[in-house]
Amino acid sequence: MAPSPPPPNLGHAGISAALTETNVRVNSDFRGDQIVLYGAVFDLAARPSDVIVIVRGPDQPVRIAKKSKIAGLWINSRPVVFQGAPGFYIAASTKPLDDIARFGELRRLQAGVDHLAMNAPAEQKTETRYGVRDVVVSSLGADYLDWQRAVVRLREADHLYDVNEHGVRFVDKGLFRAEIPLPAEAPIGQYKVRILLFQDHQLVAEKDRELTVEKVGVERGLYLWAHRRPWSYGLAAMAFALCAGWAASSAFRRD
Amino acid sequence: MDIYLPIAEVSVNAPLLIALGALVGFISGMFGIGGGFLMTPVLVFLGIPPAVAVASMSNHVAASSMSSVLSYGRKRAVDFRMGGVLAAGGAVGSVVGVELFRWLRLLGQADLVVALSYLIFLGIIGGLMFWESVGAILRRRRNLPAPPRRDRRPPWLYGLPLKMRFPRSRLYISVIPPIALGAFVGVLSAIMGVGGGFVLVPAMVYILRMPASVVVGTSLFQIIITTALTGVLQAGRNQTVDILLATLLLVGGVLGAQLGARASSRFRAEELRALLALIVLLVGLRMGLGLFFTPHEPFVLMSGNG
Repeated sequence: MAPSPPPPNLGHAGISAALTETNVRVNSDFRGDQIVLYGAVFDLAARPSDVIVIVRGPDQPVRIAKKSKIAGLWINSRPVVFQGAPGFYIAASTKPLDDIARFGELRRLQAGVDHLAMNAPAEQKTETRYGVRDVVVSSLGADYLDWQRAVVRLREADHLYDVNEHGVRFVDKGLFRAEIPLPAEAPIGQYKVRILLFQDHQLVAEKDRELTVEKVGVERGLYLWAHRRPWSYGLAAMAFALCAGWAASSAFRRD
Repeated sequence: MDIYLPIAEVSVNAPLLIALGALVGFISGMFGIGGGFLMTPVLVFLGIPPAVAVASMSNHVAASSMSSVLSYGRKRAVDFRMGGVLAAGGAVGSVVGVELFRWLRLLGQADLVVALSYLIFLGIIGGLMFWESVGAILRRRRNLPAPPRRDRRPPWLYGLPLKMRFPRSRLYISVIPPIALGAFVGVLSAIMGVGGGFVLVPAMVYILRMPASVVVGTSLFQIIITTALTGVLQAGRNQTVDILLATLLLVGGVLGAQLGARASSRFRAEELRALLALIVLLVGLRMGLGLFFTPHEPFVLMSGNG
């Protein structure tokens, strides 16, 4: 009797992914876009796999204020600036993030809106507490988390942050597909797309892709003009407005 | 048909904006006002960032005022000298106003000051105008004579130095009140995104005692100069003027203004004033009363980085 062949070396699982569109062009009829990502899991052992796709826009500091009632009026507090908040963020996955990986891993990967590493450095200082030196404390105090959650909540309301627990679907054996909705308000710039493969709560493979959202055509020209040469833009815009008013008056002149 | 605004960075419905411009233009032509006080709140309601709405309105108001001032000029209903003095004050006011707005945005209190300005100024002006016009309508219905007009000008207007002759307004007064009035309106224009006609016209009638025939034309002339300056300053300092937004509003606005000017001749002056007063009051209350209600979301994101 021939000895049974040794089990084949199954090795590590790998992942591969591509965006169907790597350049989103924002022109005058831009109303948002739908980015489609396809990917494949290479695993000879066909172990159960989970995929998280994280799309992260350029970082945009957030200024946020809290309303409080002063003398019968609801008045904004002094604004607090949070650094490290992406201007756009979506985490799409094959199932709820907490079922895919452990808390510490999600936090390290900044997977999920609750794990975004944003902070308000201007509100922080270090001091000695309980005999321990250089403890970081925030002037926002115990409300710190409320502020941070509010940033996420408000950006979610603007469709700029999202978590989609079923945004990645396996369409065939090893082949998955994710759709990322990009709203018209999405910021301009370089987006990082991170594709993470998990097996048995362990990160086994990852891939990074890039996505560019840029203004094109007249929109780009006007935007650059308004920001690089604001005074000449302002003068030209006003001259144009005055001429238009004059032209309209002449066109409707009755006498 | 949606269109993406390059500076506001939002997508808006173009026909809706043009129709809105036409409606506000109609009202502005009908009442001889700029209509900024009406347009700015509606733009904010449509989701345009307030800073962009306020700044772009300067361009829109300048254009629509330009289209109506020319016809007043042909009828010799513009006191250019008075307009120039008012505009000198307006220039100072708009420089101060743009810087003040910038500073308020940094503090995070721009929304509060805008809402309060709307509530206070529109509330007072609308209330007074409504009271006065309803009184006039009732008197006419009962065939009572109009109350004798107190033509005595306030003495302090004559006690001030730097007197100047304004032949077309038949006035010989100090330039200090018009300059102060112009400066005040300039600040309002930068903060509220309005031309300021709703403050300027009553002040010219009741404080400066200018003849009614030249008031509207002169106010439009001053508004052009002040808003032109405000618009350039907002673009230069805050980069918040969206030329596409201003153009869309303008297309409807100038057409509406011409139709409104023709429609106005079909109504009596006091009925028009009562209607305008109601609109002014409603906008003021709508903008200001939000401050008194408990917000369902206590946090607000501030646009821009200051």
